[in-house]
Amino acid sequence: MIRVEGLTKVFRRPRTFSGPFGALRTLVTRRHEEKTAVDDVSFEVDEGEVIGYLGPNGAGKSTTIKILTGILTPTSGTVEVNGLVPWRERSANARNVGVVFGQRSQLWWDLPLIESLRLVGSLYDVPAARFETSLKKLRDLLGLGEFLDTPVRQLSLGQRMRGDLAAAVLYEPPLLYLDEPTVGLDVLAKEAVREFIMETNSAGRTTVILTTHDLADVEALCKRIILIDHGKVLFDGAIDALVDQPRRLVVLLESAPEEVRGVTRDAEGRHVFDIREDLPGMIASIAAEHTIRDLSIEEPDLESVIKRIYAR
Amino acid sequence: MTRIGFRLALAYRSNIIMTCVTLVAQVFLLRMIWTSVYGSRPTAAGLTLDALLAYLTLANLQAFATHTVVARTIHDRIRTGTVFFDLARPVGYLRQMAAFQVGNTGGGLLLIAPVIPVVLLVGSITEPVNAAGYVITLLLGYVIALQLALLISLVGFWTMETGAISLLYRLVSQFFAGTMVPLAFFPGLLGVVAEILPFKYMGYVPAAIYVGHISDLSGPVLVEIAWIAGLSGLLALTWSRARRRVVIQGG
Repeated sequence: MIRVEGLTKVFRRPRTFSGPFGALRTLVTRRHEEKTAVDDVSFEVDEGEVIGYLGPNGAGKSTTIKILTGILTPTSGTVEVNGLVPWRERSANARNVGVVFGQRSQLWWDLPLIESLRLVGSLYDVPAARFETSLKKLRDLLGLGEFLDTPVRQLSLGQRMRGDLAAAVLYEPPLLYLDEPTVGLDVLAKEAVREFIMETNSAGRTTVILTTHDLADVEALCKRIILIDHGKVLFDGAIDALVDQPRRLVVLLESAPEEVRGVTRDAEGRHVFDIREDLPGMIASIAAEHTIRDLSIEEPDLESVIKRIYAR
Repeated sequence: MTRIGFRLALAYRSNIIMTCVTLVAQVFLLRMIWTSVYGSRPTAAGLTLDALLAYLTLANLQAFATHTVVARTIHDRIRTGTVFFDLARPVGYLRQMAAFQVGNTGGGLLLIAPVIPVVLLVGSITEPVNAAGYVITLLLGYVIALQLALLISLVGFWTMETGAISLLYRLVSQFFAGTMVPLAFFPGLLGVVAEILPFKYMGYVPAAIYVGHISDLSGPVLVEIAWIAGLSGLLALTWSRARRRVVIQGG
Protein backbone atom coordinates (compact mmCIF):
# COMPACT_ATOMS: atom_id res chain seq x y z
CA MET A 1 0.00 0.00 0.00
CA ILE A 2 2.71 2.46 1.00
CA ARG A 3 6.40 2.25 0.15
CA VAL A 4 8.75 4.88 1.48
CA GLU A 5 12.46 4.68 0.75
CA GLY A 6 15.23 7.01 1.85
CA LEU A 7 12.75 9.85 2.35
CA THR A 8 14.42 13.13 3.29
CA LYS A 9 12.91 16.59 3.62
CA VAL A 10 15.07 19.61 4.27
CA PHE A 11 13.35 22.92 4.95
CA ARG A 12 15.16 26.05 3.92
CA ARG A 13 14.08 29.27 5.56
CA PRO A 14 15.64 32.71 5.77
CA ARG A 15 17.76 33.30 8.84
CA THR A 16 15.90 35.37 11.37
CA PHE A 17 17.67 38.31 12.99
CA SER A 18 16.83 39.91 16.29
CA GLY A 19 17.56 43.40 17.54
CA PRO A 20 16.78 46.74 15.88
CA PHE A 21 15.83 46.38 12.19
CA GLY A 22 15.89 42.60 12.80
CA ALA A 23 12.64 42.10 10.92
CA LEU A 24 13.94 44.12 7.97
CA ARG A 25 17.20 42.18 7.85
CA THR A 26 15.23 38.94 7.98
CA LEU A 27 13.22 40.11 4.99
CA VAL A 28 16.22 40.94 2.80
CA THR A 29 18.72 38.34 3.95
CA ARG A 30 20.22 35.88 1.55
CA ARG A 31 21.43 33.65 4.33
CA HIS A 32 19.29 30.61 4.99
CA GLU A 33 19.00 28.06 7.72
CA GLU A 34 18.45 24.45 6.88
CA LYS A 35 16.47 22.10 9.02
CA THR A 36 16.16 18.42 8.25
CA ALA A 37 12.64 17.45 9.28
CA VAL A 38 12.73 13.93 7.86
CA ASP A 39 16.06 12.16 7.52
CA ASP A 40 16.41 9.03 5.37
CA VAL A 41 13.15 7.40 6.47
CA SER A 42 12.14 4.05 4.98
CA PHE A 43 9.15 1.86 5.74
CA GLU A 44 6.44 -0.20 4.10
CA VAL A 45 2.80 -0.56 5.01
CA ASP A 46 0.58 -3.37 3.75
CA GLU A 47 -3.05 -3.07 2.81
CA GLY A 48 -5.37 -3.29 5.81
CA GLU A 49 -2.71 -2.56 8.43
CA VAL A 50 -3.20 -0.09 11.27
CA ILE A 51 0.17 1.50 11.97
CA GLY A 52 1.02 3.66 14.94
CA TYR A 53 3.33 6.39 13.64
CA LEU A 54 4.75 7.80 16.84
CA GLY A 55 7.27 10.34 17.95
CA PRO A 56 7.61 13.38 20.19
CA ASN A 57 6.47 16.82 19.03
CA GLY A 58 8.55 18.03 16.09
CA ALA A 59 9.86 14.55 15.30
CA GLY A 60 8.83 14.76 11.63
CA LYS A 61 5.51 12.92 11.76
CA SER A 62 3.38 15.65 10.19
CA THR A 63 5.99 16.35 7.52
CA THR A 64 5.84 12.68 6.51
CA ILE A 65 2.04 12.83 6.35
CA LYS A 66 2.16 16.00 4.23
CA ILE A 67 4.51 14.28 1.79
CA LEU A 68 2.27 11.21 1.66
CA THR A 69 -0.74 13.43 0.81
CA GLY A 70 1.24 15.11 -1.97
CA ILE A 71 1.24 18.60 -0.45
CA LEU A 72 4.98 18.69 0.12
CA THR A 73 7.64 17.53 -2.30
CA PRO A 74 10.49 15.70 -0.59
CA THR A 75 14.12 16.76 -0.98
CA SER A 76 15.08 13.20 -1.89
CA GLY A 77 13.85 9.63 -1.67
CA THR A 78 11.04 7.68 -3.28
CA VAL A 79 7.45 7.29 -2.15
CA GLU A 80 4.65 5.23 -3.59
CA VAL A 81 1.13 5.28 -2.21
CA ASN A 82 -1.25 2.77 -3.76
CA GLY A 83 0.95 2.76 -6.86
CA LEU A 84 1.09 6.56 -7.20
CA VAL A 85 3.79 9.12 -6.50
CA PRO A 86 1.80 11.52 -4.29
CA TRP A 87 3.28 14.86 -5.38
CA ARG A 88 3.36 13.99 -9.10
CA GLU A 89 -0.13 12.48 -9.29
CA ARG A 90 -1.52 14.70 -6.56
CA SER A 91 -5.12 14.74 -7.69
CA ALA A 92 -5.44 10.98 -8.16
CA ASN A 93 -3.62 10.40 -4.87
CA ALA A 94 -5.99 12.79 -3.07
CA ARG A 95 -8.93 10.55 -3.91
CA ASN A 96 -7.16 7.61 -2.24
CA VAL A 97 -6.61 9.24 1.11
CA GLY A 98 -8.70 10.65 3.91
CA VAL A 99 -7.17 12.89 6.56
CA VAL A 100 -8.20 13.84 10.08
CA PHE A 101 -6.26 16.33 12.17
CA GLY A 102 -7.39 16.41 15.77
CA GLN A 103 -5.96 19.90 16.19
CA ARG A 104 -7.72 21.49 13.24
CA SER A 105 -10.89 20.82 11.34
CA GLN A 106 -11.80 20.59 7.70
CA LEU A 107 -15.39 21.53 8.56
CA TRP A 108 -16.66 25.03 7.78
CA TRP A 109 -17.02 26.66 11.15
CA ASP A 110 -20.06 28.85 10.50
CA LEU A 111 -22.11 26.40 8.45
CA PRO A 112 -24.16 23.35 9.45
CA LEU A 113 -22.15 20.11 9.42
CA ILE A 114 -24.12 18.75 6.46
CA GLU A 115 -22.81 21.57 4.23
CA SER A 116 -19.18 20.53 4.79
CA LEU A 117 -20.08 16.91 4.06
CA ARG A 118 -21.87 17.97 0.84
CA LEU A 119 -18.76 19.93 -0.15
CA VAL A 120 -16.58 16.84 0.33
CA GLY A 121 -19.08 14.83 -1.72
CA SER A 122 -18.86 17.28 -4.60
CA LEU A 123 -15.07 17.83 -4.48
CA TYR A 124 -14.47 14.06 -4.61
CA ASP A 125 -17.18 13.47 -7.25
CA VAL A 126 -19.25 11.15 -5.07
CA PRO A 127 -22.44 10.34 -7.05
CA ALA A 128 -25.64 11.48 -5.30
CA ALA A 129 -26.91 7.95 -4.64
CA ARG A 130 -23.60 6.80 -3.14
CA PHE A 131 -23.42 9.99 -1.08
CA GLU A 132 -26.81 9.23 0.47
CA THR A 133 -25.91 5.62 1.35
CA SER A 134 -22.53 6.70 2.74
CA LEU A 135 -24.16 9.45 4.77
CA LYS A 136 -26.82 7.11 6.13
CA LYS A 137 -24.17 4.59 7.18
CA LEU A 138 -22.04 7.24 8.88
CA ARG A 139 -25.09 8.73 10.53
CA ASP A 140 -25.79 5.40 12.24
CA LEU A 141 -22.15 4.57 12.96
CA LEU A 142 -21.18 7.97 14.36
CA GLY A 143 -24.57 9.17 15.58
CA LEU A 144 -24.44 12.26 13.38
CA GLY A 145 -28.22 12.58 13.10
CA GLU A 146 -28.70 14.86 16.09
CA PHE A 147 -26.24 17.54 14.94
CA LEU A 148 -26.12 17.31 11.16
CA ASP A 149 -27.94 20.65 10.84
CA THR A 150 -26.06 22.44 13.62
CA PRO A 151 -23.35 24.98 12.75
CA VAL A 152 -19.98 23.39 13.45
CA ARG A 153 -18.92 26.14 15.86
CA GLN A 154 -21.73 25.04 18.21
CA LEU A 155 -20.64 21.39 18.31
CA SER A 156 -18.78 19.83 21.23
CA LEU A 157 -15.25 18.68 20.52
CA GLY A 158 -16.40 15.05 20.43
CA GLN A 159 -19.18 15.83 17.95
CA ARG A 160 -16.81 17.90 15.81
CA MET A 161 -14.31 15.03 15.70
CA ARG A 162 -17.07 12.65 14.61
CA GLY A 163 -17.96 15.14 11.88
CA ASP A 164 -14.31 15.28 10.79
CA LEU A 165 -14.09 11.48 10.70
CA ALA A 166 -17.25 11.36 8.58
CA ALA A 167 -15.79 13.92 6.15
CA ALA A 168 -12.57 11.90 5.86
CA VAL A 169 -14.24 8.58 5.00
CA LEU A 170 -17.26 9.82 3.03
CA TYR A 171 -15.66 8.98 -0.34
CA GLU A 172 -14.38 5.65 1.00
CA PRO A 173 -10.65 6.19 0.56
CA PRO A 174 -8.54 3.02 0.92
CA LEU A 175 -6.10 4.92 3.14
CA LEU A 176 -6.63 7.07 6.23
CA TYR A 177 -4.17 9.39 7.95
CA LEU A 178 -5.31 10.17 11.46
CA ASP A 179 -3.29 12.77 13.33
CA GLU A 180 -4.21 12.79 17.02
CA PRO A 181 -7.86 11.94 16.41
CA THR A 182 -8.58 11.59 20.14
CA VAL A 183 -6.80 14.71 21.41
CA GLY A 184 -8.80 16.50 24.10
CA LEU A 185 -11.68 14.02 24.10
CA ASP A 186 -13.28 12.50 27.19
CA VAL A 187 -13.02 8.76 27.84
CA LEU A 188 -16.31 7.87 26.19
CA ALA A 189 -15.68 9.99 23.10
CA LYS A 190 -12.19 8.46 22.76
CA GLU A 191 -13.73 5.02 22.94
CA ALA A 192 -16.24 5.94 20.22
CA VAL A 193 -13.47 7.20 17.93
CA ARG A 194 -11.41 4.04 18.47
CA GLU A 195 -14.39 1.82 17.74
CA PHE A 196 -15.08 3.74 14.56
CA ILE A 197 -11.48 3.34 13.40
CA MET A 198 -11.60 -0.38 14.16
CA GLU A 199 -14.89 -0.74 12.31
CA THR A 200 -13.65 1.19 9.25
CA ASN A 201 -10.46 -0.85 9.17
CA SER A 202 -12.10 -4.25 9.41
CA ALA A 203 -15.16 -3.56 7.25
CA GLY A 204 -13.47 -1.86 4.31
CA ARG A 205 -9.90 -3.15 4.65
CA THR A 206 -8.95 0.50 5.07
CA THR A 207 -5.27 1.04 5.81
CA VAL A 208 -4.74 3.43 8.71
CA ILE A 209 -1.71 5.49 9.70
CA LEU A 210 -2.32 6.76 13.20
CA THR A 211 -0.33 9.49 14.87
CA THR A 212 -1.08 10.05 18.51
CA HIS A 213 0.38 10.85 21.91
CA ASP A 214 -2.22 8.70 23.64
CA LEU A 215 -0.67 5.25 23.84
CA ALA A 216 -4.01 3.75 24.84
CA ASP A 217 -5.08 4.47 21.23
CA VAL A 218 -2.06 2.58 19.98
CA GLU A 219 -2.60 -0.37 22.31
CA ALA A 220 -6.24 -0.60 21.29
CA LEU A 221 -5.73 -0.24 17.54
CA CYS A 222 -2.24 -1.05 16.30
CA LYS A 223 -0.29 -4.25 16.00
CA ARG A 224 2.75 -2.49 14.65
CA ILE A 225 4.37 0.85 15.39
CA ILE A 226 6.98 3.02 13.75
CA LEU A 227 8.83 5.29 16.17
CA ILE A 228 10.60 8.34 14.85
CA ASP A 229 12.55 11.14 16.47
CA HIS A 230 14.68 13.92 14.96
CA GLY A 231 13.44 12.72 11.58
CA LYS A 232 14.93 9.22 11.92
CA VAL A 233 13.23 5.87 12.38
CA LEU A 234 14.14 4.48 15.81
CA PHE A 235 11.96 1.42 15.79
CA ASP A 236 9.72 -0.36 13.32
CA GLY A 237 8.02 -3.56 14.35
CA ALA A 238 5.32 -5.36 16.28
CA ILE A 239 4.25 -3.91 19.61
CA ASP A 240 4.33 -7.40 21.11
CA ALA A 241 8.05 -7.69 20.39
CA LEU A 242 8.67 -4.28 21.89
CA VAL A 243 6.77 -4.97 25.08
CA ASP A 244 8.05 -8.54 25.36
CA GLN A 245 10.44 -7.83 28.19
CA PRO A 246 10.77 -9.17 31.73
CA ARG A 247 8.73 -7.73 34.56
CA ARG A 248 10.75 -5.57 36.89
CA LEU A 249 11.15 -5.47 40.64
CA VAL A 250 11.53 -1.99 42.09
CA VAL A 251 12.80 -1.70 45.64
CA LEU A 252 13.54 1.24 47.90
CA LEU A 253 16.08 0.37 50.56
CA GLU A 254 16.49 1.99 53.98
CA SER A 255 20.26 2.48 53.66
CA ALA A 256 20.14 3.35 49.92
CA PRO A 257 23.51 1.76 49.02
CA GLU A 258 25.24 2.61 45.75
CA GLU A 259 25.01 -0.88 44.33
CA VAL A 260 23.02 -3.99 45.12
CA ARG A 261 23.60 -7.28 43.27
CA GLY A 262 25.08 -5.55 40.23
CA VAL A 263 22.32 -2.90 39.99
CA THR A 264 23.17 0.75 40.67
CA ARG A 265 20.81 3.13 42.44
CA ASP A 266 18.71 5.24 40.04
CA ALA A 267 17.98 8.98 40.27
CA GLU A 268 15.07 8.43 42.62
CA GLY A 269 17.15 6.30 44.98
CA ARG A 270 15.53 3.06 43.86
CA HIS A 271 17.00 -0.18 42.56
CA VAL A 272 15.33 -1.79 39.58
CA PHE A 273 15.89 -5.51 38.87
CA ASP A 274 14.73 -7.54 35.88
CA ILE A 275 12.75 -10.49 37.17
CA ARG A 276 14.39 -13.53 35.56
CA GLU A 277 14.51 -15.99 38.45
CA ASP A 278 11.99 -16.89 41.09
CA LEU A 279 10.57 -13.72 42.59
CA PRO A 280 10.15 -14.75 46.28
CA GLY A 281 13.78 -15.96 46.28
CA MET A 282 14.95 -12.63 44.84
CA ILE A 283 13.08 -10.62 47.44
CA ALA A 284 14.27 -12.87 50.25
CA SER A 285 17.91 -12.55 49.26
CA ILE A 286 17.69 -8.75 49.07
CA ALA A 287 15.84 -8.60 52.41
CA ALA A 288 18.56 -10.75 54.00
CA GLU A 289 21.17 -8.04 53.37
CA HIS A 290 19.11 -4.78 53.47
CA THR A 291 16.03 -3.30 55.10
CA ILE A 292 13.34 -2.89 52.41
CA ARG A 293 11.23 0.25 52.86
CA ASP A 294 9.05 -0.16 49.79
CA LEU A 295 8.67 -2.63 46.97
CA SER A 296 6.66 -2.88 43.76
CA ILE A 297 6.51 -4.96 40.61
CA GLU A 298 6.27 -3.21 37.25
CA GLU A 299 4.64 -4.82 34.23
CA PRO A 300 6.39 -3.85 30.99
CA ASP A 301 4.21 -1.26 29.26
CA LEU A 302 4.44 0.62 26.01
CA GLU A 303 4.94 4.01 27.59
CA SER A 304 8.01 3.09 29.62
CA VAL A 305 9.48 1.14 26.71
CA ILE A 306 9.02 4.09 24.35
CA LYS A 307 10.47 6.49 26.90
CA ARG A 308 13.57 4.33 27.10
CA ILE A 309 13.93 4.27 23.31
CA TYR A 310 13.68 8.09 23.09
CA ALA A 311 16.19 8.46 25.90
CA ARG A 312 18.87 6.51 24.02
CA MET B 1 -17.37 25.27 -3.09
CA THR B 2 -19.72 27.70 -4.84
CA ARG B 3 -22.45 26.52 -2.51
CA ILE B 4 -20.24 27.05 0.55
CA GLY B 5 -19.47 30.61 -0.57
CA PHE B 6 -23.15 31.27 -1.12
CA ARG B 7 -24.18 29.83 2.24
CA LEU B 8 -21.46 31.78 4.03
CA ALA B 9 -22.68 35.04 2.48
CA LEU B 10 -26.11 34.28 3.90
CA ALA B 11 -24.63 33.18 7.23
CA TYR B 12 -23.03 36.59 7.70
CA ARG B 13 -26.12 38.51 6.70
CA SER B 14 -25.73 41.13 9.43
CA ASN B 15 -22.49 42.09 7.70
CA ILE B 16 -24.29 42.55 4.43
CA ILE B 17 -27.07 44.60 6.04
CA MET B 18 -24.42 47.02 7.32
CA THR B 19 -22.90 47.03 3.85
CA CYS B 20 -26.29 48.00 2.41
CA VAL B 21 -26.64 50.87 4.88
CA THR B 22 -23.15 52.09 3.94
CA LEU B 23 -24.02 51.80 0.26
CA VAL B 24 -27.20 53.87 0.60
CA ALA B 25 -25.41 56.49 2.69
CA GLN B 26 -22.50 56.73 0.26
CA VAL B 27 -24.72 57.13 -2.78
CA PHE B 28 -26.76 59.78 -0.95
CA LEU B 29 -23.66 61.77 0.03
CA LEU B 30 -22.20 61.57 -3.47
CA ARG B 31 -25.47 62.85 -4.88
CA MET B 32 -25.49 65.84 -2.50
CA ILE B 33 -21.87 66.74 -3.25
CA TRP B 34 -22.03 66.40 -7.03
CA THR B 35 -25.34 68.27 -7.30
CA SER B 36 -23.75 71.18 -5.44
CA VAL B 37 -20.56 70.97 -7.56
CA TYR B 38 -22.54 71.16 -10.79
CA GLY B 39 -24.57 74.14 -9.54
CA SER B 40 -26.24 75.59 -12.60
CA ARG B 41 -23.78 74.17 -15.15
CA PRO B 42 -25.54 71.86 -17.63
CA THR B 43 -22.59 69.55 -18.36
CA ALA B 44 -19.03 68.86 -17.24
CA ALA B 45 -16.50 66.73 -19.19
CA GLY B 46 -19.32 65.75 -21.53
CA LEU B 47 -21.60 64.42 -18.77
CA THR B 48 -24.93 65.92 -17.78
CA LEU B 49 -25.78 65.93 -14.07
CA ASP B 50 -28.45 63.25 -14.61
CA ALA B 51 -26.02 61.00 -16.45
CA LEU B 52 -23.36 61.61 -13.80
CA LEU B 53 -25.70 60.73 -10.94
CA ALA B 54 -26.88 57.59 -12.73
CA TYR B 55 -23.24 56.75 -13.35
CA LEU B 56 -22.26 57.18 -9.69
CA THR B 57 -25.24 55.17 -8.45
CA LEU B 58 -24.40 52.31 -10.77
CA ALA B 59 -20.67 52.41 -10.15
CA ASN B 60 -21.20 52.17 -6.39
CA LEU B 61 -23.74 49.38 -6.71
CA GLN B 62 -21.23 47.52 -8.86
CA ALA B 63 -18.35 48.14 -6.48
CA PHE B 64 -20.33 46.70 -3.58
CA ALA B 65 -21.67 43.78 -5.57
CA THR B 66 -18.26 42.80 -6.94
CA HIS B 67 -16.41 43.30 -3.67
CA THR B 68 -14.44 40.10 -3.06
CA VAL B 69 -13.86 38.35 0.26
CA VAL B 70 -11.70 35.55 -1.08
CA ALA B 71 -8.42 37.23 -0.04
CA ARG B 72 -9.53 37.36 3.57
CA THR B 73 -10.78 33.79 3.49
CA ILE B 74 -7.50 32.55 2.03
CA HIS B 75 -5.52 34.59 4.54
CA ASP B 76 -7.50 33.12 7.46
CA ARG B 77 -7.04 29.62 6.15
CA ILE B 78 -3.28 30.06 5.73
CA ARG B 79 -2.98 31.53 9.21
CA THR B 80 -4.93 28.72 10.92
CA GLY B 81 -3.40 25.95 8.83
CA THR B 82 -6.76 24.80 7.42
CA VAL B 83 -5.32 25.57 3.98
CA PHE B 84 -3.93 22.04 4.34
CA PHE B 85 -7.35 20.60 3.55
CA ASP B 86 -7.83 22.84 0.48
CA LEU B 87 -4.47 21.68 -0.83
CA ALA B 88 -5.25 18.02 -0.14
CA ARG B 89 -8.36 18.07 -2.38
CA PRO B 90 -8.37 16.48 -5.82
CA VAL B 91 -9.63 19.80 -7.27
CA GLY B 92 -7.11 22.59 -7.95
CA TYR B 93 -6.70 25.24 -5.29
CA LEU B 94 -7.40 28.30 -7.43
CA ARG B 95 -10.48 26.68 -8.92
CA GLN B 96 -11.86 26.01 -5.44
CA MET B 97 -11.21 29.56 -4.31
CA ALA B 98 -12.70 31.09 -7.47
CA ALA B 99 -15.82 28.94 -7.05
CA PHE B 100 -16.05 30.05 -3.44
CA GLN B 101 -15.93 33.72 -4.43
CA VAL B 102 -18.51 33.34 -7.19
CA GLY B 103 -20.91 31.68 -4.74
CA ASN B 104 -20.23 34.39 -2.20
CA THR B 105 -20.94 37.12 -4.74
CA GLY B 106 -24.19 35.34 -5.62
CA GLY B 107 -25.24 35.25 -1.97
CA GLY B 108 -24.28 38.89 -1.55
CA LEU B 109 -26.34 39.90 -4.61
CA LEU B 110 -29.36 38.06 -3.24
CA LEU B 111 -29.12 40.07 -0.03
CA ILE B 112 -28.38 43.37 -1.76
CA ALA B 113 -31.28 42.92 -4.23
CA PRO B 114 -34.03 44.30 -1.95
CA VAL B 115 -31.95 47.44 -1.33
CA ILE B 116 -31.40 48.21 -5.01
CA PRO B 117 -34.69 50.17 -5.40
CA VAL B 118 -33.76 52.24 -2.35
CA VAL B 119 -30.31 52.97 -3.78
CA LEU B 120 -31.83 53.96 -7.12
CA LEU B 121 -34.27 56.24 -5.34
CA VAL B 122 -31.62 57.88 -3.16
CA GLY B 123 -29.30 58.17 -6.14
CA SER B 124 -30.66 58.52 -9.60
CA ILE B 125 -31.03 56.29 -12.62
CA THR B 126 -31.76 56.72 -16.30
CA GLU B 127 -32.78 54.25 -19.00
CA PRO B 128 -29.80 52.16 -20.15
CA VAL B 129 -28.36 53.39 -23.42
CA ASN B 130 -26.68 50.03 -24.06
CA ALA B 131 -27.94 47.32 -21.68
CA ALA B 132 -26.25 44.35 -23.40
CA GLY B 133 -22.91 46.15 -23.53
CA TYR B 134 -23.27 47.00 -19.87
CA VAL B 135 -23.83 43.38 -18.83
CA ILE B 136 -20.99 42.04 -21.01
CA THR B 137 -18.37 44.54 -19.83
CA LEU B 138 -19.49 44.17 -16.22
CA LEU B 139 -19.23 40.36 -16.30
CA LEU B 140 -15.77 40.52 -17.86
CA GLY B 141 -14.85 43.19 -15.29
CA TYR B 142 -15.94 40.82 -12.54
CA VAL B 143 -13.62 38.11 -13.87
CA ILE B 144 -10.75 40.63 -13.74
CA ALA B 145 -11.69 41.61 -10.16
CA LEU B 146 -11.73 37.94 -9.17
CA GLN B 147 -8.33 37.25 -10.75
CA LEU B 148 -6.75 40.28 -9.10
CA ALA B 149 -8.18 39.24 -5.72
CA LEU B 150 -6.70 35.75 -6.12
CA LEU B 151 -3.36 37.23 -7.12
CA ILE B 152 -3.33 39.42 -4.00
CA SER B 153 -4.27 36.40 -1.86
CA LEU B 154 -1.34 34.38 -3.14
CA VAL B 155 1.02 36.92 -1.61
CA GLY B 156 -0.05 35.34 1.69
CA PHE B 157 1.90 32.21 0.80
CA TRP B 158 5.08 34.29 1.06
CA THR B 159 4.26 36.79 3.77
CA MET B 160 1.67 34.88 5.88
CA GLU B 161 0.00 38.27 6.25
CA THR B 162 -2.19 40.02 3.70
CA GLY B 163 -4.40 42.29 5.84
CA ALA B 164 -2.61 45.54 5.01
CA ILE B 165 -2.12 44.65 1.36
CA SER B 166 -5.82 43.82 1.02
CA LEU B 167 -6.84 47.13 2.56
CA LEU B 168 -4.48 49.08 0.31
CA TYR B 169 -5.73 47.09 -2.66
CA ARG B 170 -9.36 47.87 -1.83
CA LEU B 171 -8.66 51.60 -1.54
CA VAL B 172 -6.63 51.81 -4.74
CA SER B 173 -9.00 49.62 -6.75
CA GLN B 174 -12.11 51.56 -5.68
CA PHE B 175 -10.50 54.90 -6.38
CA PHE B 176 -9.22 53.89 -9.81
CA ALA B 177 -12.51 52.16 -10.58
CA GLY B 178 -14.02 55.63 -10.40
CA THR B 179 -16.62 55.07 -7.72
CA MET B 180 -16.16 58.53 -6.18
CA VAL B 181 -15.17 60.55 -9.24
CA PRO B 182 -15.67 59.40 -12.83
CA LEU B 183 -12.44 58.73 -14.68
CA ALA B 184 -13.33 61.41 -17.23
CA PHE B 185 -12.63 64.01 -14.50
CA PHE B 186 -9.16 62.69 -13.59
CA PRO B 187 -6.51 65.28 -14.46
CA GLY B 188 -3.36 64.71 -16.58
CA LEU B 189 -1.08 61.95 -15.37
CA LEU B 190 -3.65 60.56 -12.94
CA GLY B 191 -6.03 60.14 -15.84
CA VAL B 192 -3.38 58.30 -17.84
CA VAL B 193 -2.63 55.95 -14.94
CA ALA B 194 -6.33 55.27 -14.37
CA GLU B 195 -6.75 54.59 -18.08
CA ILE B 196 -3.96 52.00 -18.04
CA LEU B 197 -4.94 50.19 -14.83
CA PRO B 198 -7.57 47.44 -15.06
CA PHE B 199 -9.65 48.71 -12.15
CA LYS B 200 -11.80 50.87 -14.41
CA TYR B 201 -13.46 47.74 -15.78
CA MET B 202 -15.03 47.06 -12.40
CA GLY B 203 -16.69 50.47 -12.16
CA TYR B 204 -16.21 53.20 -14.70
CA VAL B 205 -16.34 51.36 -18.02
CA PRO B 206 -19.59 49.38 -17.58
CA ALA B 207 -21.34 52.33 -15.92
CA ALA B 208 -20.16 54.73 -18.63
CA ILE B 209 -21.48 52.34 -21.27
CA TYR B 210 -24.81 52.20 -19.45
CA VAL B 211 -25.25 55.98 -19.48
CA GLY B 212 -23.95 56.25 -23.05
CA HIS B 213 -20.72 58.09 -22.21
CA ILE B 214 -18.79 55.32 -23.96
CA SER B 215 -20.46 54.15 -27.16
CA ASP B 216 -17.83 51.97 -28.84
CA LEU B 217 -17.92 48.51 -27.23
CA SER B 218 -15.26 46.62 -29.18
CA GLY B 219 -12.28 48.47 -27.67
CA PRO B 220 -13.11 47.90 -23.98
CA VAL B 221 -14.22 44.28 -24.54
CA LEU B 222 -11.00 43.41 -26.36
CA VAL B 223 -8.84 45.02 -23.70
CA GLU B 224 -10.81 43.21 -20.99
CA ILE B 225 -10.25 39.87 -22.70
CA ALA B 226 -6.55 40.67 -23.02
CA TRP B 227 -6.38 41.48 -19.30
CA ILE B 228 -8.13 38.22 -18.44
CA ALA B 229 -5.71 36.23 -20.62
CA GLY B 230 -2.68 38.02 -19.16
CA LEU B 231 -3.86 37.65 -15.57
CA SER B 232 -4.61 33.93 -16.15
CA GLY B 233 -1.01 33.41 -17.18
CA LEU B 234 0.32 35.45 -14.28
CA LEU B 235 -1.92 33.59 -11.82
CA ALA B 236 -0.79 30.19 -13.09
CA LEU B 237 2.85 31.25 -12.85
CA THR B 238 2.47 32.77 -9.36
CA TRP B 239 0.57 29.74 -8.11
CA SER B 240 3.17 27.28 -9.36
CA ARG B 241 5.80 29.25 -7.42
CA ALA B 242 3.55 29.73 -4.37
CA ARG B 243 2.81 26.06 -4.02
CA ARG B 244 6.51 25.30 -3.71
CA ARG B 245 6.58 27.78 -0.84
CA VAL B 246 3.81 26.00 1.01
CA VAL B 247 4.55 25.95 4.67
CA ILE B 248 1.67 24.83 6.76
CA GLN B 249 1.47 26.62 10.05
CA GLY B 250 1.91 24.33 13.04
CA GLY B 251 1.76 20.55 13.28
